[in-house]
Amino acid sequence: MTAKYVVGIDLGTTNCVLAFAPLEGDAPQVQLLQVPQLVAASTVDSRQSLPSFLYLAPEHEAGGALDLPWAQGRKFSTGEHARRQGAEMPDRTVVAAKSWLCHSRVDRRAPLLPYNAPSDVGKVSPLTASQRYLEHLAAAWQAEYPDAPLAEQQVVLTVPASFDAAARELTREAALAAGLPASLVLLEEPQAAVYSWLAERGDDWRKELKAGDRVLVCDIGGGTTDLTLVDVAEVDGELALERLAVGDHLLVGGDNMDLALAHQVAGLFAEQGVKLDAWQSVSLWHSCRDAKETLLAPEAPESHSISVLGRGSKLIGGTVSVDVPRAMATELLVGGFFPECTLADRPEKRRVSGFQEIGLPFESDVAITRHLAAFLAAHADDGQGAAYPTHVLFNGGVFKANLLRSLVLEIIGKWAGDAPPAAELPGGRDLDNAVARGAAFYGWTKDHGGVRIRGGVARSYYVGIESAGLAIPGMPRPMRALCVVPFGMEEGTSVDVPSGEIGLVLGEPAHFRFFSSAVRNGDQPGDVLPTIDEEELTETDPLEATLESTADTEDSYVPVRFQSQITELGMFELWCVSTTSDERWKLEFNVREA
Amino acid sequence: MRLWLAIQSFFQVLFNRDFAAGVKQLQLAAPAAEPAQAEPAKPEPPKPQPPKPQPPVRSEAITLLATLQREARFVDIVSESLDGYSDAQIGAAARDVLRDCGKVIERMFALQPFAAKTEGEQIEVPAGYDAAEFRLTGNVSAQPPVTGELVHAGWKATKCEVPKWSGSKQAALVVAPAEVQVG
Repeated sequence: MTAKYVVGIDLGTTNCVLAFAPLEGDAPQVQLLQVPQLVAASTVDSRQSLPSFLYLAPEHEAGGALDLPWAQGRKFSTGEHARRQGAEMPDRTVVAAKSWLCHSRVDRRAPLLPYNAPSDVGKVSPLTASQRYLEHLAAAWQAEYPDAPLAEQQVVLTVPASFDAAARELTREAALAAGLPASLVLLEEPQAAVYSWLAERGDDWRKELKAGDRVLVCDIGGGTTDLTLVDVAEVDGELALERLAVGDHLLVGGDNMDLALAHQVAGLFAEQGVKLDAWQSVSLWHSCRDAKETLLAPEAPESHSISVLGRGSKLIGGTVSVDVPRAMATELLVGGFFPECTLADRPEKRRVSGFQEIGLPFESDVAITRHLAAFLAAHADDGQGAAYPTHVLFNGGVFKANLLRSLVLEIIGKWAGDAPPAAELPGGRDLDNAVARGAAFYGWTKDHGGVRIRGGVARSYYVGIESAGLAIPGMPRPMRALCVVPFGMEEGTSVDVPSGEIGLVLGEPAHFRFFSSAVRNGDQPGDVLPTIDEEELTETDPLEATLESTADTEDSYVPVRFQSQITELGMFELWCVSTTSDERWKLEFNVREA
Repeated sequence: MRLWLAIQSFFQVLFNRDFAAGVKQLQLAAPAAEPAQAEPAKPEPPKPQPPKPQPPVRSEAITLLATLQREARFVDIVSESLDGYSDAQIGAAARDVLRDCGKVIERMFALQPFAAKTEGEQIEVPAGYDAAEFRLTGNVSAQPPVTGELVHAGWKATKCEVPKWSGSKQAALVVAPAEVQVG
């Protein structure tokens, strides 16, 4: 391996960023790659990020207009051009592929996106879309550094902390298909944000945090919210960081807020008798993002004027504008997304009917503070109260609005009662690019040594086992859950799961239901939960293997026990190990099961 | 006989262009009789050039204009007559256009004030200054170095990154495509 650089890639729901640092040198010099991309037909320009959008062009449009310096005859585009096309042609534009990647009720290798597109559009799978973004970044890297192929560099790719083992596996598959090296390391995004803070502070961080402190990472991206707790401990006289817990995958983010405001403002326009078309609605959406930052700033004006330009070339005549009062924006955004609530409050669950559409499972409760209350309460040290943080690290473009930062701090302060209020970690932030920067810094310290966040796997995993007993016709046998991976299991370790022998038929696919839990931190391998509580255990993709025997045996079935393994690269593997021979079989995720 | 041939050839060469060319060929060919090593490889007759795809032909100025129009509707607003609009109407449209123009220019040129002083302060103009860098007004007969009040700090691009365009010759002058809503 002749790696010259460490490369950190943030494959985001709405934006991808690539940061890198030369491996040589005494200190990591992290920079961002300028990514050449199509910004309009036949026009290539460089941007600091690659919007995660994929536009599938109709046959007559392609004709060279979507070419890139490294690719001719393209029939699709990724990045800025695709994002713009998406506004007016949602049927032909793939959005939020990453959220589909962890949606276990659909086959993620099947061409389903753009969702609900007409049949003449050549749809792609969530996996392929992710692969296209990574291919673009790889090609952009190759164009800039032809002497240092990406496949030979040290690459760190970030995933949401809430991604389960199956979603991580799929992300890795897309990355390898895009030409990233097999030595690729996956890093949780909130951890990357912490690494970015560590990179920025240098050695000073040891003065700013002390043993016993607890940092809440509140990462609100465009489409998702990711929560993580990191504890500061003292090990052998040195401060050490340990990831305590991660939250569930929440499909609510900054875009929801901009869209909510845009919806309200569109109502104000409607009052003036102005109906906005698709293009104007999108430009309104963008104006609302700026308006949100202006109206939620420390000394915000009482109102902010939002205009939507006329559609045709008669611009001034067609322009309409409204004044958005600050009170309205605050009530909508704060009241809707950051309402005051108590620690006992929980996100509202909407009971869905049997005929739920299979689209993305967006949160039915967008109140981030209620999700936060549930998260902190779930990880209380003694099962009571909550895991109060002493510090908060904000990440994501949403927090450019200062008011939201102070609001979150204030609410946590109220929950904590008499305890000293949580403080924001000091220092400047690159809220949009911190994850990619942190990933590159992490890769550099992996090579050169430096502070690491320990934590192991973020959730415990379970295999569903049918209970023995008399079968009742028409009733499925009750399921029990056998813990195979404990919370916090470290990379590069394996564990033999103590259990009774499980008989598997040779030559036939063995099929196991598979569950994960972000809250049952105490379960040990071999523990059996008598029932499956949907509040605590989330079902993910089933595991399968077809057991072909190489041994010379007459038996038609083989008794096995489980062995689980977390590889050095952070990938989960579950093996069925024969108790009568040396044979073992690896179980693979079946992501086709709907 | 050779004498006669020589005389005949002399006049043929003198008055018959084709014949002369033939003789010249003979003379040129002569070294071929020599041992071959002196003969350089005969160059291939130049083949007709295959029709090469035309290199992109578009002025960067058009690309800049196209970008300002695409991202900020700049061309629309300066092309529209202001007659009949109130200042408020113009202001409402201009606010967005100006903001977005600013973003484009910042991204492409990352402009910075040329002079490092605040406007209104005294600034020294060095001897041998470049007239493209400083424009002196007032008592300009004084010999630099001179000191004067900075009226305008000037602008300087710290980079120049115009998008690369790869379209057809036919579309080279198109600043904004016609937009057509089908169906």
